[in-house]
Amino acid sequence: MGTIVPRSLYLTASTRLQTQLLQSIPYRSLHTTHHLNIVKPFLLADIGEGITECQLIQWFVQPGARVEQFDKLCEVQSDKASVEITSPFDGVIKKLHYDPDDMAITGKPLVDIDIQSEITEEDEAKLAGGGDEEGAGSAVRGVEESIGEREIRVEGAAGVDVAEPAVKNPGSQPQPERRRSSGKQDHSSLATPAVRHLTKEMKVAITDVRGTGKDGRVLKEDVHRHVAQSTQQQPTVHTPMQKAREVNRKVPLTPVQTQMLKMMTRSLNIPHFLYTCATDVSSLTALRKTLNISASSPDQRLTQLPFILKAVSLAFQHHPLLNSSLDSTDPAKPQLMYKSAHNFGVAIDTPSGLLVPVIRNVQDLSIGDIAAQLRQLSEKARDNKLAPSDFGGASFTISNIGNIGGGVVSPVISEPQVAILGIGRSKIVPAFNEQGDLIKVEELVFSWSADHRIVDGAECARCAERVKKLLEEPGKMMVEMR
Amino acid sequence: MITLNRACRRARGCQQLLIAHRRLSQSALDRLAQPVQSYISTSRDPYLNLSVEHYLLQKSAPESTILLLYVNRPSIVIGRNQNPWLEVNLALLNPSQQSQPETESPGLGNVDLVRRRSGGGTVFHDEGNVNWTVICPPKAFTRDKHAEMVVRALRSCGVERSRVNERHDIVLDQGERIADVDLDNTHITPYTRHAGLPEIRPLKVSGSAYKLTRQRALHHGTCLLSSPNLNIIPDYLHSPAKPHITARGVESVSSPVGNILLSNEHFIDAVRSKFSGKYRSPEGTEHIEVGEDWLDHEPVRQGYEELKSREWTFLQTPQFTISTSADPSCTTDVELTVRNGAISGGHLRHRGGAVIVELNAHSIGQRVHNITSWPETLSQMFTGVDCAEGRRLGAWFERMLPVQART
Repeated sequence: MGTIVPRSLYLTASTRLQTQLLQSIPYRSLHTTHHLNIVKPFLLADIGEGITECQLIQWFVQPGARVEQFDKLCEVQSDKASVEITSPFDGVIKKLHYDPDDMAITGKPLVDIDIQSEITEEDEAKLAGGGDEEGAGSAVRGVEESIGEREIRVEGAAGVDVAEPAVKNPGSQPQPERRRSSGKQDHSSLATPAVRHLTKEMKVAITDVRGTGKDGRVLKEDVHRHVAQSTQQQPTVHTPMQKAREVNRKVPLTPVQTQMLKMMTRSLNIPHFLYTCATDVSSLTALRKTLNISASSPDQRLTQLPFILKAVSLAFQHHPLLNSSLDSTDPAKPQLMYKSAHNFGVAIDTPSGLLVPVIRNVQDLSIGDIAAQLRQLSEKARDNKLAPSDFGGASFTISNIGNIGGGVVSPVISEPQVAILGIGRSKIVPAFNEQGDLIKVEELVFSWSADHRIVDGAECARCAERVKKLLEEPGKMMVEMR
Repeated sequence: MITLNRACRRARGCQQLLIAHRRLSQSALDRLAQPVQSYISTSRDPYLNLSVEHYLLQKSAPESTILLLYVNRPSIVIGRNQNPWLEVNLALLNPSQQSQPETESPGLGNVDLVRRRSGGGTVFHDEGNVNWTVICPPKAFTRDKHAEMVVRALRSCGVERSRVNERHDIVLDQGERIADVDLDNTHITPYTRHAGLPEIRPLKVSGSAYKLTRQRALHHGTCLLSSPNLNIIPDYLHSPAKPHITARGVESVSSPVGNILLSNEHFIDAVRSKFSGKYRSPEGTEHIEVGEDWLDHEPVRQGYEELKSREWTFLQTPQFTISTSADPSCTTDVELTVRNGAISGGHLRHRGGAVIVELNAHSIGQRVHNITSWPETLSQMFTGVDCAEGRRLGAWFERMLPVQART
């Protein structure tokens, strides 16, 4: 075989130099008296942009090499970005899982490290067997969306020619350490780098924290406890040992839950965006009060919902896209169908769970008609008398959780619809009128979710604003009525 | 600006001679610590410009934000992990040394081949193209952020068709005006065509690439302003070997390109203005010139030598295989595997024959870019290849993996 080519003469030499320098410092001997001796695989973190694999370009370490936290492990490349991955721990490299040029898979082990520092729960998550892969390895994510200020590490020729940063970061130590060597006898010896980072994040002086680890070491729990005690914002969070009175039960899904599971799993494919819009319903409420005075019986009284349904239907005359239907059974040829009928599914909370019966042709119904139908449907639902003909064929759904509560909600679209409206509970809030006086208004938040493959934010916003205007001045609805 | 220093301090731990070496002036070093820095290169040397860029990436203060602008003489810049034989028509690069009668050079003279340190695909640089780089702390970094800044700069020069696309490149929308849009949105223009209209491909004017380290994030991009070479760029970026190479690594995504038709100065001023506006420095931002004198600084020179070296350019190629089997004009199937830019294996079989000849062991490790004569090399690689066949195969390989002129 030909000569082995050092990938980067300049960089490797200085890294090796640095490692040698640091190895000679007696400070490290503190670690050898107490290390965990666990070899764990360190996973390749998600570098964002939906990238699932990247090519390994070069290794900066080999098995047997000692690494410190922040030492470079390797360089990977994904499409446009070449990324340097650094070690989150101190330790010894045991095994490299890829050769140069191999495709490394995100979420799978990259390298095995014999960890020789105390590791926190956060760090556990970066390793295999530490639970979900979502938390794996912030070394790379820390590059694209950094967690916070770290110790300022000096690269290159033993730090001689490097300018010291003039820019101070809030929360960082007043004197950035030039090299670890200067920290051997000071407080940095009382805790691992991960814990020291935590103290900086929580703006706590490490000397103030009482350490409960070996040799008086400060552990992560000690820092948290210190913060909790000194700010007295939280009561001591020691939940007393709960007697396991309740046993876990295995229960099959109800028919409604099964249906919900199926529908919502399909909805996962829909990229949702949320647009919320606070509407002043004071005028509407006043109007309803007036109308309800002359109601013939208590159950002829009008609630908000029929007005809202009608307003949405009127708005849809101008924004038919939100009433359309997307057929994506053939992913190569998605079909969009504009529906002429406004069939609104109304989500109802019933004893059996969430049901969505449909009011058909809202565009042809008066508000009174809508109210009557709503009443019928909820009676049938209460009595478990909803028929299959009451369901299906909805082009848009409205979900009203206002009788329970809710401010901003984030409803989930049902296929093949492209949008959904969620309504919470209205509440009285302070506001200013045109004269600048403080008045009370009744505010109701409308939360629109739409399918971003079909609907863009502006279109959804325009429709939402139109509905808002119709409800804020109900007279406008009369003008548009057919 | 340059001061003599005393003996090299890096001698500790290294077996280096004590050399008096020049370095950057103290003011230049202090500048590396400032929160906002803006540089412009006076050099057209792509190796120098990329070395300066790399130096700034490594040595600037971690919290600082830096702008660097530079223009290169005609050169082809491939991504960190790309394959030059696959991406570039190497035969066109050094026309004076070529002996091939059929490759007529388009008249550009020598074109440099450079492998940069960031990812991404292959681009052609010339004096009608301005390169911009922004280096910032990782927490402030997103892939679009500085592309958006450049689009705002372009729009301030009247280039209202420019926008950032979904691949973080900058494109010019073509066709007629479609709709009024929010002009603050750098991802859409009044010319952006939506589904339902016949598609007209936008023209790419800038490509982005990134290099991310623990402490710094680098985003650089090109900007085609007024290149006279647009019609010959495709010739340079089309390699005859492409159908015959199977490789790992990032392939370029080719797009139709166009000139923005703005002067370099106008663009540079606009980008600086947007940069200074975004990253306000209390004293105002001075735009520092960077030139060849930076080569006197040891770390810059080392990076420069590395980028210029043929080892870096060719041996950083991921493993690939080249084979004659897809070419019907060949009568022999030859396959070579190349790892780290050097032959690592191969075999030969006459078509219609059954005998497979393995690569001779002494050829393993032969660096492809050092091959001076393919017919000769092939006869050393495989025993039993006769003259005529050797000549034919030699000619084929010469076309696919052209001999590199000695620099």
